[in-house]
Amino acid sequence: MDLKETLRYLGYRGKDGDEQTLRLIRESWEELEQKAEKRACYREFPLKFQDKCIDMGCLQTKSRDLENHLEGCTRVVLFAATLGVQADNLIRRYSHLEMSRAVVIQAAAAAMLEEYCDQVNEEIRIEYEKKGLFLRSRFSPGYGDFPLSCQPALIGGLEAGKRIGIALTDSCLMLPTKSVTAVIGAGPVRQGSAGRCQGDGAGGCGACSKTDCLYRRKRI
Amino acid sequence: MNITIMEEIGRRKVFCDGGMGSLLQARGLKAGELPETWNLLRPEIIREIHGAYLDAGCDIVTTNTFGANRLKYPEGGAFALKDIVKAAVENARRAVEKAGRGFVALDLGPTGKLLKPLGDLDFDDACNIYGEVVRAGSEAGADLVLIETMSDGYEAKAAILATKENCDLPVFATMIFDGKGKLLTGGNVESTVALLEGLGVDALGINCGLGPVQMKGILKEILACASIPVMVNPNAGLPRSENGTTVYDIDEDRFADVMEEIGQMGANVLGGCCGTTPGHIRKLIERCRNQIQILPGEKNRTVVSSYTHGVLIDRDPVIIGERINPTGKSRFKQALREHNLEYILQEAVAQQDNGAHVLDVNVGLPEIDEPRMMEEVVKELQSIIDLPLQIDTSDMAAMERAMRVYNGKPLINSVNGKKESMEAVFPLVKRYGGVVVALTLDEEGIPDTAQGRVQIAKKIYDTAARYGIKAKDILIDGLCLTVSSDSKGALTTLETLRRVRDELEGKTILGVSNISFGLPQREIVNGAFFTMALANGLNAAIINPNSQVMMKAYYSFRALADLDSQCGDYIQVYGGAPKAEGPLAQSVPGGGKGAGEDGMGLGDCIRRGLKEKAHQAVEALLEQREALEIINEEMIPALDAVGKGFEQGTVFLPQLLMSAEAAKAAFDVIKERMSQKGQTRKKKGTIILATVKGDIHDIGKNIVKVLLENYSYEVVDLGKDVAPERIVKEAVKGQVPLVGLSALMTTTVPSMEETIKQLRKEAPWAKVMVGGAVLTEEYARTIGADRYCRDAMASVNYAESVMGGVS
Repeated sequence: MDLKETLRYLGYRGKDGDEQTLRLIRESWEELEQKAEKRACYREFPLKFQDKCIDMGCLQTKSRDLENHLEGCTRVVLFAATLGVQADNLIRRYSHLEMSRAVVIQAAAAAMLEEYCDQVNEEIRIEYEKKGLFLRSRFSPGYGDFPLSCQPALIGGLEAGKRIGIALTDSCLMLPTKSVTAVIGAGPVRQGSAGRCQGDGAGGCGACSKTDCLYRRKRI
Repeated sequence: MNITIMEEIGRRKVFCDGGMGSLLQARGLKAGELPETWNLLRPEIIREIHGAYLDAGCDIVTTNTFGANRLKYPEGGAFALKDIVKAAVENARRAVEKAGRGFVALDLGPTGKLLKPLGDLDFDDACNIYGEVVRAGSEAGADLVLIETMSDGYEAKAAILATKENCDLPVFATMIFDGKGKLLTGGNVESTVALLEGLGVDALGINCGLGPVQMKGILKEILACASIPVMVNPNAGLPRSENGTTVYDIDEDRFADVMEEIGQMGANVLGGCCGTTPGHIRKLIERCRNQIQILPGEKNRTVVSSYTHGVLIDRDPVIIGERINPTGKSRFKQALREHNLEYILQEAVAQQDNGAHVLDVNVGLPEIDEPRMMEEVVKELQSIIDLPLQIDTSDMAAMERAMRVYNGKPLINSVNGKKESMEAVFPLVKRYGGVVVALTLDEEGIPDTAQGRVQIAKKIYDTAARYGIKAKDILIDGLCLTVSSDSKGALTTLETLRRVRDELEGKTILGVSNISFGLPQREIVNGAFFTMALANGLNAAIINPNSQVMMKAYYSFRALADLDSQCGDYIQVYGGAPKAEGPLAQSVPGGGKGAGEDGMGLGDCIRRGLKEKAHQAVEALLEQREALEIINEEMIPALDAVGKGFEQGTVFLPQLLMSAEAAKAAFDVIKERMSQKGQTRKKKGTIILATVKGDIHDIGKNIVKVLLENYSYEVVDLGKDVAPERIVKEAVKGQVPLVGLSALMTTTVPSMEETIKQLRKEAPWAKVMVGGAVLTEEYARTIGADRYCRDAMASVNYAESVMGGVS
């Protein structure tokens, strides 16, 4: 159970939770562990840079932040993971019955999904390092100037719809809502660390302009 | 065509083709290019692929229409959907003509959208999307419709209904299961087979997702419950990516080996999916061609289902919760009139927690629009409860609307032996699927004898059979009349139960509580009669699962009748500390246990977020003080203190909400007390809340709602993905002074801006507050909002400043 992340998503900003909240968090993790159906898929694609355009086989885009992030990479692993529809069902159910629990489950689900992404990411890292390739951290549509409009091509290239059940709304939001897609660069030189984006550098919170965000991750 | 596809399946193993997408890619289809366009652009290639499969020996070629639907080919686009579908069928038809044999299956894949409530596609829209393709495909001359790669039973239901409503062709449906035998949306084999058979498909099965090896276990499960032909179309194996291309873990020979086993296990129609080629299909057919075809026999399983699971109605009795019914419940009637679905949902959850397997849903009140209310309640219930529902109404329009939108195979309550009733209900059961409760009464009334009731049961079975409804989908209700007016009433009912079981081999159901009308302490009689009925073979009981007496009878009967292995369930329920007599406590999730013996004041209870204690504390206070005084002197100060703490960063969101919930529990008590005295708590005003069009993240909006309600605002919650026009309409209709909008993503802020623009024009008096992850003070100003609320308390403060003065 990733208590610290759950508290961060609940806006605790590094403070400790009180007894009642901690109990809710424990119960929420237990219920999620029971109900959530974690699924992930990934697929490797060739990577080319052509006049500011990043070509990842199934997906072409312009994004300076992503281009910086993928510097020195020779290919990419497209990645998607989800907690499945049951996590959304739980949040919806408690939004009707007990809002405090809905809020905690939603935070716990976010933390659980990140943790799960890290696990799968670690498997990919080991697989690739055997081939002499080193992974960059995950970079998702919506980070910096990497547009959300890339989602259809990314999901399509992964066949994430039928493989793990991720669908998109017309406005490119993912369903189930507790889902992640990401681009993971791979190259012959080790640079940064694989896994989730940390609070600085090009990725994640570091690429975000909303500096007063309640949830902003601070580099420790 | 001389022989139909169903006749072929009755005589021998029938074979489908294999993958299409990978073959098109090999012939130059680019990533991102829509495969269906090749029906028009490269018809010779499509025909060649169909021809190659027919050469390999397959019987069914599937048209290249997997993604052909209005969502991917919108009106006014480069390709007309109808032309694509027509060309696809023609391409397959030509290949069949050239080969001199074969059937053309119009292929329907998933829409690519998730249906509501999981996603943003309306069920009726999904039906229309499929209907359009089916019309085009059947007109162009398809022989059958193959609905495939469905990971959501609800979407499959939309496709099947659309097919049956737009053509008379045979319908086959195959679903995509994961290695554990579950659909991506949560259904299992039992619930899926019940749903598909209920909807009247001609063959069902599994495709894609897995290789043949992983499908064997799921096939075994399917064969154990299916009564119609079974199809298996696996991928070429489990895929992995090698240098950017997909390769499979087994080869053609291994694929054929396993398919041979699958044929022997009992699959009736075999083929392939992703990664399979004419080579795979040729080898598969060589191995299976001479296998003996044995169709699955009738399994006689009476099953109703929700979107997650099936409930088998058999020897092990099924509890149907009766509480969602306004009869004799003034609070329930009030809730229906006020459109208070929350109250109904609470009733549902309490019954589920107390052990109900199915929930009866009756929302009949003379003064409400029952069809509309029924549809709405069924949709709401199935979005938060995973139990199958029993649709209980005598309004045929309400019954049909509910059956149509129901996500599974429902119980239907009820039909009876009257001609008129059977003529109204049976066509609906045939069309939408379901298990129907059949009351043993007819034009002559209720027979006094078991013999008379058994006769009516026979008549009902016979009539149902003429509509194509099987006996397994009927539950006979032997009716129980009140024993205080007819001393033989109970014995007649019990005899009917036995005789339906023994003579008709039928399944039975009873509304048990009727027996005790007019008697004191009715539960005593109900409990005893329930046990007697169970001992006489009752399969399903409509009871109050919140009654301990009834549940005790249920659990002890199961233990005594060898239905509860090692008394495990009995011990689990009753093995702990002895429970108090009387009705089970209604579950109040999250509330602290125990009485307020520590003398904690109401304000403390609220500050600390203790729901049950707040409930008790306010009851005690109401003995001494006036309601308004309690609200103003105890509750409001406590809520204010928590709100201040939240703003200062000493109280956090979960605590803020727990306090709000404790306050709400106390308000509910006060409200009830006031309404007994004919008083009401004045609202400060109405606020509309909505998550804007295109956005489906509504948790923030829901938080705001909980808090505003505690501060005495009437909240009109329009939900998520709400069109600007709808918000404007509500604002104008109610002359609403304040509208709150939420949007999570940058992509949906434009629709927030549009909403504000329209509000300014049509409802210039309305103030607009906005919130959501990507918004900032400045961003909010740019899109024209009156106030940016960074959190839930900020929205309360703004509401207070706009209209808090009114009281």
